[in-house]
Amino acid sequence: MSRDLEEQLRRALRPVDPGEPFTARVLARVAQEPPDERPAGTRASPDTRRRRLWLPLGLAASLAAALILRREWHEPRDLQGPEARRQLIEALRVTSQKLDLAYRIVNTPPATGDDQGSGA
Amino acid sequence: MREIDPGFAAEELSRAQAGVPAAFAALLRSHQRLVYSIALRMLGDAALAEDLAQEVFLQLYRSLGSIESAAHLVFWLRRVTAHRAIDRLRQRPQVSWAPLAAAEELAAAEPLADPLLSARLQALLGELAPLPRAVLLLRYQQDLDPSEIARTLDLSVNTVKSHLRRTLAALRLKLAAGVPAALEGES
Repeated sequence: MSRDLEEQLRRALRPVDPGEPFTARVLARVAQEPPDERPAGTRASPDTRRRRLWLPLGLAASLAAALILRREWHEPRDLQGPEARRQLIEALRVTSQKLDLAYRIVNTPPATGDDQGSGA
Repeated sequence: MREIDPGFAAEELSRAQAGVPAAFAALLRSHQRLVYSIALRMLGDAALAEDLAQEVFLQLYRSLGSIESAAHLVFWLRRVTAHRAIDRLRQRPQVSWAPLAAAEELAAAEPLADPLLSARLQALLGELAPLPRAVLLLRYQQDLDPSEIARTLDLSVNTVKSHLRRTLAALRLKLAAGVPAALEGES
């Protein structure tokens, strides 16, 4: 009886995955975080302040990928297999492009360098 | 409980702490099941559970620098989720029932178990006071032993064992009797 109840409890309380839509919503909220709330590793010294743009831009790219994956989440099951793989590769390709773009933006020297770009 | 690959988690944790956005997203994906599941079974409501789980991950994002290891991350997530859920339950005006619709939905998603019994157990769980509810959840969902539960909830091991013993006995009685009633008070 005791063992039975414990087994039933394990089944009744089994973990549940909230799915990719949850991931997308959390990433969207994280992307809205003010700079002071970001992880210590990304807190900028004056010299690296511009590079901090990398984080929200990257998160936005991750969010874009998550939204694509979310759409896939709702597709019928028969999309599994080659079609699902193709969509995943497409999502990763888009993310990669966004990250490359973000990296280029934050590492491009400003046009007018007198006030902040000279020390970089 | 599905295991999280500690090597993968450690690597992603280091990268997330260094500010790599994709690494935080990977951490989120690999741990969201753990956090959401605790929140869902504690609160008995999918919308409330998602709200709480989102808050936990936002807090994690702000606290990444204080996480020491992959194991510490899992401990931290369980601890913060359980304490936040207990706080929310205590803010409710009175002991609440797990919403019937949620219990039915959760039971229906479980083909191998007896859906009626699962729904009944979830409803009975919803009658427990917050602390014994958290103890039961950490024991039978997260497979923690009493000493791990004690560390997670800041209780003594004896208190955890006492909660487990009394709650299981009460559940047995309620299942046998088949009548709902408040199971156990907060100790």
